[in-house]
Amino acid sequence: MEQFESLLTCCVCLDRYRNPKLLPCQHSFCMEPCMDGLVDYVRRQVKCPECRAEHRIPYQGVQGFPTNVTLQRFLELHANIAGELPDPTAGQVMERCNVCSEKAYCAPCAHCDKKVCEDCKSAHMEVLRREIARINNQIRRGLNRLQDILGVVERNTINLQTNCGAVAGEVDEIHKRLAKALKDRTDFLRNEVDRYLATELRNLTNLKDNLELELSNIQSNCDLADKYMNDDVEWEDTELVDTKEIFLKTVEFLRNFDYEAGDYNRRVRFIMTHDPNQLVMHVASYGELNITQPNAYSSSMQQNQGLTRSKSDHRLASQFRQQEEAKGWQENDEPILGGRKFGERRPPPPEKHTRDYGATDDYSGYESEHRPARSRFRSRFVKSHLDNDSDSEQTSRATKSEQKEKEKEKVVDTEDATRGPLSGIFRLSDCPRVMQRILDVDSGKKKEKKEPPPPPPKPVQPAPQPRQRPPPAQRQQSEDDEISRLKRQNKGAAASSQEPERAPARPAEEERTPVNRKPPTPAREASSDGESDESVGSLQRNQRKNAPAPQKPVTTTRRPSATETPAPHRPAARAPSTESSASTESSGSAVKHTGAILSIAELKAKYSPSAPATTPGSRFSSAGNERTAPAATNGTAGGAQRVQSRFIGSQRPTPAPAPAEPVHEDSDTSSEEETDSSEESDEEPVTQRKPESQAMARSDIGPLLARSNNARNDAVENKAKESPSQSRYRTRQSSQTEEEPATRYSAGSSLSNRYGSKPREEEPPSSLDDETKYPTARSRYLALKERRNRLARSKSSHTGFGAGDDDDQDDPVSPTTASPSAYLAARYGSGTGGSELSRSRSSHALKSRESSPERPAPGEKDGAALSSWARYLKNKYGSRGKDRDPSSTSSSTSRRLSLGLPLRSANELASSDDDSKNAAGSPISPTAATAAVAGFAAAGSSPRSQYMQKRRLQFSVGSRGSEPGCFTWPRGIAVGPDNTMVVADSSNHRVQVFDSNGIFVKEFGQYGSGEGEFDCLAGVAVNRIGQYIIADRYNHRIQVFDPQGRFLRAFGSQGTGDGKFNYPWGITTDALGFIYVCDKENHRVQVFQSDGTFVGKFGSFGSKLGQLEHPHYIAVSSTNRVLVSDSNNHRIQVFDVNGRVLSSFGEEGSEDGQFKFPRGVAVDDQGYIVVADSGNNRIQIFHPDGAFLRAFGSWGSGDGEFKGLEGIAVMSGGNIIVCDRENHRVQVF
Amino acid sequence: MAALPRRIIKETQRLMQEPVPGISAVPSETNARYFHVIVTGPEDSPFEGGLFKLELFLPEDYPMSAPKVRFITKIYHPNIDRLGRICLDILKDKWSPALQIRTVLLSIQALLSAPNPDDPLANDVAELWKVNESEAIRNAKEWTRRYAMDN
Repeated sequence: MEQFESLLTCCVCLDRYRNPKLLPCQHSFCMEPCMDGLVDYVRRQVKCPECRAEHRIPYQGVQGFPTNVTLQRFLELHANIAGELPDPTAGQVMERCNVCSEKAYCAPCAHCDKKVCEDCKSAHMEVLRREIARINNQIRRGLNRLQDILGVVERNTINLQTNCGAVAGEVDEIHKRLAKALKDRTDFLRNEVDRYLATELRNLTNLKDNLELELSNIQSNCDLADKYMNDDVEWEDTELVDTKEIFLKTVEFLRNFDYEAGDYNRRVRFIMTHDPNQLVMHVASYGELNITQPNAYSSSMQQNQGLTRSKSDHRLASQFRQQEEAKGWQENDEPILGGRKFGERRPPPPEKHTRDYGATDDYSGYESEHRPARSRFRSRFVKSHLDNDSDSEQTSRATKSEQKEKEKEKVVDTEDATRGPLSGIFRLSDCPRVMQRILDVDSGKKKEKKEPPPPPPKPVQPAPQPRQRPPPAQRQQSEDDEISRLKRQNKGAAASSQEPERAPARPAEEERTPVNRKPPTPAREASSDGESDESVGSLQRNQRKNAPAPQKPVTTTRRPSATETPAPHRPAARAPSTESSASTESSGSAVKHTGAILSIAELKAKYSPSAPATTPGSRFSSAGNERTAPAATNGTAGGAQRVQSRFIGSQRPTPAPAPAEPVHEDSDTSSEEETDSSEESDEEPVTQRKPESQAMARSDIGPLLARSNNARNDAVENKAKESPSQSRYRTRQSSQTEEEPATRYSAGSSLSNRYGSKPREEEPPSSLDDETKYPTARSRYLALKERRNRLARSKSSHTGFGAGDDDDQDDPVSPTTASPSAYLAARYGSGTGGSELSRSRSSHALKSRESSPERPAPGEKDGAALSSWARYLKNKYGSRGKDRDPSSTSSSTSRRLSLGLPLRSANELASSDDDSKNAAGSPISPTAATAAVAGFAAAGSSPRSQYMQKRRLQFSVGSRGSEPGCFTWPRGIAVGPDNTMVVADSSNHRVQVFDSNGIFVKEFGQYGSGEGEFDCLAGVAVNRIGQYIIADRYNHRIQVFDPQGRFLRAFGSQGTGDGKFNYPWGITTDALGFIYVCDKENHRVQVFQSDGTFVGKFGSFGSKLGQLEHPHYIAVSSTNRVLVSDSNNHRIQVFDVNGRVLSSFGEEGSEDGQFKFPRGVAVDDQGYIVVADSGNNRIQIFHPDGAFLRAFGSWGSGDGEFKGLEGIAVMSGGNIIVCDRENHRVQVF
Repeated sequence: MAALPRRIIKETQRLMQEPVPGISAVPSETNARYFHVIVTGPEDSPFEGGLFKLELFLPEDYPMSAPKVRFITKIYHPNIDRLGRICLDILKDKWSPALQIRTVLLSIQALLSAPNPDDPLANDVAELWKVNESEAIRNAKEWTRRYAMDN
């Protein structure tokens, strides 16, 4: 057998003969590549490797040698007996591999787009696999960027809603104010007119009466005189004299009486101080929305994923595409994979089918594609029996291909369905090919026959489309083949026994394929089924929840987004109603506060006269109504009960409720209800959506699809959900509008109602003065807290769903709930006054959510978070920090409240605590917040407001040059004693000192490596005693100078050991004089004593937390937090003085709070962090906790524009000074 | 690097599976076309008992061109020069693709037992071999003992 085997082996290739050619010396060799390689082209000879006989090559080349048919038969026979697999390369023609230029059976390689041999191809595939693995790693690493962005988008969503809500509230509030002012004035004017009319009318009637009397008197006198003043009557002299006197008087009266008959038409005139037209115009356009564009995408994102691609979407998309491009599926096509389906071959180059297939290899791919099942031994020389393709076969094949075509279309759809809207990336696992591949692997059926079905031959396409990966290469019938076969048929060459065999084989194969493909087929059907479902109506699908395919793991990140986004989505629509009611409540008074800073007493005075109208009882009852109503609608008995009981608890100390006075209450109640209901409706979608989204996630199409579905459903669901809630709302609103006029304009009482009612709930009945004492902020806050508590409780009683937990957690720790107004004051500064208060609610909710991840674990949350909060407060309020105690208790109680602990006594304690604290007017209490806000404004010492206003350049110092006051690439900057500015004038190798006004004071240092000489110094710092500490960059050392600029000492040298540097950059000192150096190229921070003794180091190269990559600048806060600008990681890391990483914020990007190669970092005495975001050419300011405050600046050389920011520092007055490197100047803000 | 032709793979496999007695050829770990070869000196030859190291390299167009073979171990042989180059017709013009590594090595082994001083490469050796064969054989034995046996 072995000998038999060897007889069938070509001695050149040591392989089984293929197409053996017989030389005249009777030795046979494969035609290709063996015989081919033997050819001596020069002499047109072939030398037999066996006998060294030389033979002339026939005219047609080696092909012209006769085929050793006997050998071929033997081969066939052998294959038959041995049951060998058919030679996969049978019928193929050898070509030169385009890579290794070896002659081999070549096939197009998708990697290099050339026809290459099997070996090169597998090598390429290996390369591809490695690349994929590598890129996959990259992607994995980059994935969290996506998640971060997702977080940002979510945050932005909330931000936007908050913002819009607040703005709508403002608008509404302004509207109400305007309306009220208008109405008041109108009423006043009317009254005036009326009163004037009345008096005037009275006067006139009086006059009229008098005149009438006069007239009649005089008339009668005249008559009498005419009649009797003659001689007929005896008159006494006196009588006549008197008469005459009277008459004279009458004459005189008549002559003198002059009625000022003014124009009564225009007695009263209505004069407007302003041109009414203008006024109307003013009112008509009394405000506009200033919409900053860059954030637009957040709104567009939530609308409809994938439908609208806004510009910013594209930006996002392109970012991701960049990432994805690296994946190497396709280099630069817009549609991923260049519009192909996954795994499909690229359309072959046109020249392919022009190739001459020659006479012998006319089977080409067609043969192999439809290889009969039983003729597995078919070997390459079967091509001599060529005429086996009957027409019937072709037609059957055609129908088959049609089927496949259909299948394929579906397949495309499946992929499309899961396509990511931004990047165009679809889930590979949704790809039928991939599914199949994986399935194959799983079932261990890696046999070649069970490879996925070949791409159906496209009847029109002439080019062959070989399938490569499955070794039986499947080719399409090419026209060339067809023709040559026909020719052969005509010739009738070697019609063989094979033919009949093949014909029955085909049905067998077709029979077999379904069986073989059984595992994959259902999957495909399922997917196509799901896909068609999907296309028919995703909504239906979701509701049916008939996920057809295996469960897929749900990515945790997506779930929240799917469920949470709709939640905030809701209030956006309703925000106007809720927010406006909220803001009107607060603004009614708050706006008044801002005009003139009113003390509490004043407030009291202002509101107390109108207060007595209301009774506590009525308020309670109404509040009770309001409570129960939402609870009932809430639908959860537990929540409702608890809410109620809680309410009753607080109600207990009050006397029995008096009958309600709904008229007074309404404005309060209705608005309360509104907000409640809106918040409830927030929840409804959440809970309802959840199972849906889960079902969705379970579906085979996967979370991505689920998400897009969700997005699509949002609209529908919202609509559906809107209707009931809307109706609820509508009725409420109508009731409100009915009562509104009554309440609104009886300003005093209703106001006191509003402001008073909330606090009253929590305190035992007290004097009316007490209740009026609390202005809006307080009541808002309490209302808010109350509501949040309720909400949290009801939520937790619901399902313990994420959002609920979230809220639960928020409440205890969040500084904001403890004293939101203080927080708010901090957050918003004084600028916008009262209306901002209303915003605080949502913003602080948001805020607490934002900061929640940074918080410690729940266990230690209490202590740690509070203490950090304490620090925060201390930073903020300085000496007033001791007032914190009550607030800490209050916050803890509020936490207890929010957790729904059944400690009634604690509750009461808490509330009383709250109240007493309030009465005392602690600075942290919301009561004082407004005052505090005002105070900030007045004093102008609020860093926040200051920072918020920062944008305008105060002045800039320097230009390019080497004279004093000029710079060449200034880098580090520091603030010295007396607010001097110390600038590292890097490429002038000197330090320049300016006073706080930018006047040049002195300079020191020159180029060199000696003492007091610099080589491109970078960082500067000034310690407590005024010594200058300089990072002498290229000399890899630190130099210390006395306050006069005289050299004191130097330490360090180049190296990686302790106390050695590699391009030290930023430098700073802390209060104890320790020197912190950013050892840039060593990716670490080193700490020294002020005398240069090495103390410690931290950080190592990397991007993990606590690792650094090119740290540039460093700053230490007064609370001993070390901030390092981890430049190449695009973040700021916060360490403690021992090098333990505390937190980190920022990631690469240009949005707020993101960085590109941040450099300078500074921290002010209150912990605010200022970052020179070098790559974005802007300055960003952050809260001490790392929350973004604001950003300003852009690229350019104008005022307030930057080109390459370097060091940054904050002066004691709050001025920010920054080195604008490429502009060679220092700018002061 | 282009992938290894099937023939080389086959040959290598076969060399491993059915080694030729007295010959071992192991491909280099870094280059599958480079073989470390050890040939035992044939019996009844002056090289008996010696283990001769050779290197064998299959050129790019192998099997269409002959492998490059060279003795590493010093050997006293008229057809092998001091650099170890071998004068063997099948390694030159008589190469045939039908030959294989094993056949080449067998030929070399045969060459050791049948030196051909008429077609010399090392002229001095060939000369001696022709003039004074016993001396030459003694030399060869001496060399074999000195260079091919101590390891």
